[in-house]
Amino acid sequence: MKTVSSLLDADWYERYKKISRLNIRSSIYDVTDRCNLRCKGCFFFSSGEHERAAEEKDVAKWHTFVEKEMDRGVNLAILIGGEPTLCLDRIEAFYKRLPTFCATNGLIKVPRDRFPDMMVGLSLWGDEEDEKALRGQDTFKITSANYAGDPHAYYLYTITPKQLGKTEKIIRKISDIGLKVHMQLLSNDEDVNGFSWKPEELVAIREEMDAMLDAHPQTVISSKYYHKVITTGKMLDRTFGWSECPSVTILRDNRDPQPKRLTNFIRWASDLKTVHRCCTSETRDCSTCKDGAAHMSWVMVNKRAHIKTAEDLQNWIEVYEMFAKLYQFIPW
Amino acid sequence: MATDIQQTTTRIAEIIINELKLEDVTPETFDADLDLVDEIGIDSMDLATIALVLRDEYGIRIDEDDYPKLTTVRIIAEYISTKLAEGK
Repeated sequence: MKTVSSLLDADWYERYKKISRLNIRSSIYDVTDRCNLRCKGCFFFSSGEHERAAEEKDVAKWHTFVEKEMDRGVNLAILIGGEPTLCLDRIEAFYKRLPTFCATNGLIKVPRDRFPDMMVGLSLWGDEEDEKALRGQDTFKITSANYAGDPHAYYLYTITPKQLGKTEKIIRKISDIGLKVHMQLLSNDEDVNGFSWKPEELVAIREEMDAMLDAHPQTVISSKYYHKVITTGKMLDRTFGWSECPSVTILRDNRDPQPKRLTNFIRWASDLKTVHRCCTSETRDCSTCKDGAAHMSWVMVNKRAHIKTAEDLQNWIEVYEMFAKLYQFIPW
Repeated sequence: MATDIQQTTTRIAEIIINELKLEDVTPETFDADLDLVDEIGIDSMDLATIALVLRDEYGIRIDEDDYPKLTTVRIIAEYISTKLAEGK
């Protein structure tokens, strides 16, 4: 029988033991239906999710709701939108009670006197040209001023096919302001011309992501296995898709057989009653989904499938560590 | 009592081997003191599945809050024996 310690040397085994009992139980919350940007390709607006439910405006109900979520075993709240920072009181309902991550476009600075150590993920969709084309403005100019040197913020760099050959410039800019970066891929939910991935581009961007990790290990929070999984949609001998995705809302998960999945995961709409199908757009074709968190989670929930060889298990550890760093369960 | 515990230990090992599809090990050769998380790589979803099988087999409910304590087959066997003795 293969055991963990039989596959790992002492250093890797110690790394494994630091994460093996974290038992992270996340759920995702739409904090609001509104945003101060309208990005082409944003899954939330392109799929009409902002019209699915009217947001709950009574802050007291948010506090009660978070208490109930904790009773359900949630120990990581991932806040998305719309733009969460438009509703700081709602964010506070989570932050006061449990580890909280806030995904934001960064145009509004999270007040650090109120949220001193809340992890903030700043969305970035490329260089100035791509940012203007997809988001209407170069957000980096503002977000870098808002968050330079902030130890509890990092960039969520959504790479588009047009970024091929340009990622290092972006990563250097991020490094220069003392922040970290995590890379993911655009799924192009609105079919913007020129922003859908071609197979050869996915091969090329994987090589580029690997090179960035090698060149900027202190800045880039990632792993080569994650690059492989997200660019190929393959993990071990399996293919990502509806039948494999771990990030399906438990209340809407009628798959049979049931794959390994995030325990009790729900993505809630901002009315605090409606649930969305999964962590991303309901209208997205799962076979072409490039969602970074879903692919990371896919690896993470399939730990035992990786207890076959030392390389497989080390790959799993690196992905889990990456996730744990991005959500502050372990230090950078 | 000792025999009962031994039987329970062997049966739990068998359940874990079956549920996790472990290879090259039998209920008799399974080390009852092997740490299920640190060595077998069991996670909370695996434990939940095993807890359901144990509930059906022994008619006991394993509280989710108790999962972190159930780190070896021997500890699970003792937990079940205690629950049975308490009539839960």
